[in-house]
Amino acid sequence: MFKNKIVKTIFILAGVGVLIAGGIGYYMFNMPHRDVQATTSDYKLSATEIVDEYLKNSAEANNKYLDDEGESKILEVTGTVASISTDFNNQVIVLLKNKNASAGVLCTFTEATNNSAKALKKGEIVLVKGVIRSGASYDEDLELYEHVILEKCSLLTK
Amino acid sequence: MKKLVLTLIVLSSISFNAFSQTEEKLVSKKTHFKIYSHTATEDIEANNYKAVSTLNTVSGDVVFSVPMQSYEFEKSLMQKHYNGKKFLDTKQFPKSKFKGSITNLSEVDFKTDGVYKVTIEGALSMHGKTNNISEKGSITVKGTSIVLNTKIAVTLSDFDVAFKDGKPSTNIAKDIEVTVVAEY
Repeated sequence: MFKNKIVKTIFILAGVGVLIAGGIGYYMFNMPHRDVQATTSDYKLSATEIVDEYLKNSAEANNKYLDDEGESKILEVTGTVASISTDFNNQVIVLLKNKNASAGVLCTFTEATNNSAKALKKGEIVLVKGVIRSGASYDEDLELYEHVILEKCSLLTK
Repeated sequence: MKKLVLTLIVLSSISFNAFSQTEEKLVSKKTHFKIYSHTATEDIEANNYKAVSTLNTVSGDVVFSVPMQSYEFEKSLMQKHYNGKKFLDTKQFPKSKFKGSITNLSEVDFKTDGVYKVTIEGALSMHGKTNNISEKGSITVKGTSIVLNTKIAVTLSDFDVAFKDGKPSTNIAKDIEVTVVAEY
């Protein structure tokens, strides 16, 4: 009788353990993406500052801003609107770049924030929050400067 | 006076060169990279709209620069695995690059609307490794728009991306298909 009780308890405990492990596994598998806009920004800086940081030492800048698992730093960047376009995913792209700068910050908006970006005008000074995907550099093969890339962007009020 | 004429000639030739160069070398307006992996367990797909490309209509040179962290997966965990040290290590290698050319450029008429079959050959660099590839594709000319389409078969082990154990080794295909679209 006593032995039976122990066996029963072990079975129940094992069952609960399996359920918890399964639950964690299921949660991990379906874990939602990080909500960039709901996360606190890591750095506040100007488009010129981040571009200069990358052009000066891209390895150092990558180390500072990029994350091992792709959850890179969230930035708030101020800059002058140089152009507005859309990509193949129908997201609005705003380039923040000073007239004399060799590169700028290319901000990709989202379904929820596209309309606010569309309403912007060239020359306007704006504040954009988004996650950095890659830095600025001169590419010899393209013969072009590549911009800093920010995604999941929204406009903030200054 | 002679000096002035000479200066004018030099200046005009410089500006002419600059002009003709921008005409030959087209810069992409929009791009789309899609990676697709198929195994019996699951199909995995990710999209990237942030690559930059140039196409030289005179030499046939094609260049792509792809920011690796811009690939978006449906599942957050897959995206983390993909970026991670055991897989593409995108913090260490934030960009992949293709540098090559269209080998049958004479068969493409950039001034006449149509779909032209092309072969593209060149070097693909990713995860710190470079391999030569050759793929079929097409160039679609319609008015002022030029669209390049191709599919690249990437064998992960060629780029030192290999998983010895764990879930990724069974759930991710050894050969990945990368679909490329670029509009110039």
